[in-house]
Amino acid sequence: MFSFVVRKLGFLKDIPLLAILFDSLMRLWMFIVKPELLHWIDDLEENVERMPGTTVGIHKYGGTAFNYSGKEFAHVHSNGLVDILLNKELKKSLMMDGKIKDHHLFKNSGWISFYLHNKQDVAYACYLLKKAYDRAREKQNSVRQALIVQSLQ
Amino acid sequence: MSLKQTFYKVRSSKIVQGILIANIFAFLIIGMQSSLLPKDVGVLVFSEFVIIPLLMGIIMAWCWKDTNMRGTQITACSILGSLMAILLSFIFLGEGIICLLIVSPLIFGFVIAGAFIGRSMFKKSNQKLNISIVSLLLGIFIVDSLSDHHHENMVSDEILIHASPAQVWQHVVAFDPISQKESYWLFNIGMPSPMATTVSEHKLGANRKCIFSNGYIFDEKIVKFDVNENLVFDIIDQPKDPEIMGHIDIKRGQFMLKDNGNGTTTLIGNSWYNLHVFPTWYYDLWAESITRNVHFRVMEHIKLLSER
Repeated sequence: MFSFVVRKLGFLKDIPLLAILFDSLMRLWMFIVKPELLHWIDDLEENVERMPGTTVGIHKYGGTAFNYSGKEFAHVHSNGLVDILLNKELKKSLMMDGKIKDHHLFKNSGWISFYLHNKQDVAYACYLLKKAYDRAREKQNSVRQALIVQSLQ
Repeated sequence: MSLKQTFYKVRSSKIVQGILIANIFAFLIIGMQSSLLPKDVGVLVFSEFVIIPLLMGIIMAWCWKDTNMRGTQITACSILGSLMAILLSFIFLGEGIICLLIVSPLIFGFVIAGAFIGRSMFKKSNQKLNISIVSLLLGIFIVDSLSDHHHENMVSDEILIHASPAQVWQHVVAFDPISQKESYWLFNIGMPSPMATTVSEHKLGANRKCIFSNGYIFDEKIVKFDVNENLVFDIIDQPKDPEIMGHIDIKRGQFMLKDNGNGTTTLIGNSWYNLHVFPTWYYDLWAESITRNVHFRVMEHIKLLSER
């Protein structure tokens, strides 16, 4: 259902609130048919909130966005699909495990997709989120250092 | 703990307060809108299904901001708040059950969305931004309530019948009661479906009655009567049903018979209606689906009678 809507009706995602409405309806559906999934999403949120410098907010295309220094490094849709920004090398090595997939839309990017199917997946999702967080922090730090060097020169 | 203590505990609970305040706000604003900005009975604008539920969710989130509720709990309480709004609409606004069933995805969806948007807003504690968002939503509500709303649509369907136009025509103007089982889920849960049609005379200007499963009658007048070719009728009176009361006006119906020259006839059924509930991108999907299923129930019956 989710992939069908994304594939066939994805062009509607820029209509204000429509994607958020769709995600809220998925959340309602999951609350009825698989409430434990919402607990797993909460676990992910709490895990990310413990990482210094992060914020959790609404994702513009529905779901929960995880940000570091105001920049998104991952988001989770209410059907348990976690999209995480890594880099291509890391993505390539992780894909060998067979647990993650290309991002459901941006196949040739550093983004990956991972579905929460059971409680054990939460731990792996947290591991992936930590990788993405570290990457985002390193990137931010190198930008800061570059700015400092630039200002000293 | 005594019953009285339990009552006070429930009443002072932030969760209950959030649900109650959001619902009181919604009904106050709808009451104010109806008294200050009178509009036609039954017309429900887009803001009532989008902006008010969003604001309800934001109000709930504001009441819950110090409770450290997890997302799952926010979802559960938003669902409770939405159910309460739906129940109050049934009691005080006189809406029908099927009507509420149709509207409920919008209410649930936007209340949940509002609660999560609100959670994000109040976490940031940016008062200026929060006030701007709420003011913008209220502004849209006022502008939408003051605007004119009109939506007309036509639904067309066709079916191939293995009989000549003359054989089909006999069952188009009026037909015996439909005995086939309902197949459309809304008809199965109680939405009235067409059962039979009677006509005072087989001529232009005659009165036609379309009888529905719950006994409701649509009074019609034949305005075009081209034998074996075209029948057009205007709906002159429709039942005061809580499911459709003022929300949709069926204006006109038509049956066109196209002789395919090989012993078969293509029967085309057209219906015109005015929709008074908005947003149309949502309600028109339902109106089209219902009209289409009314068409097919009648046309399948005509096909069965003509091919006998």
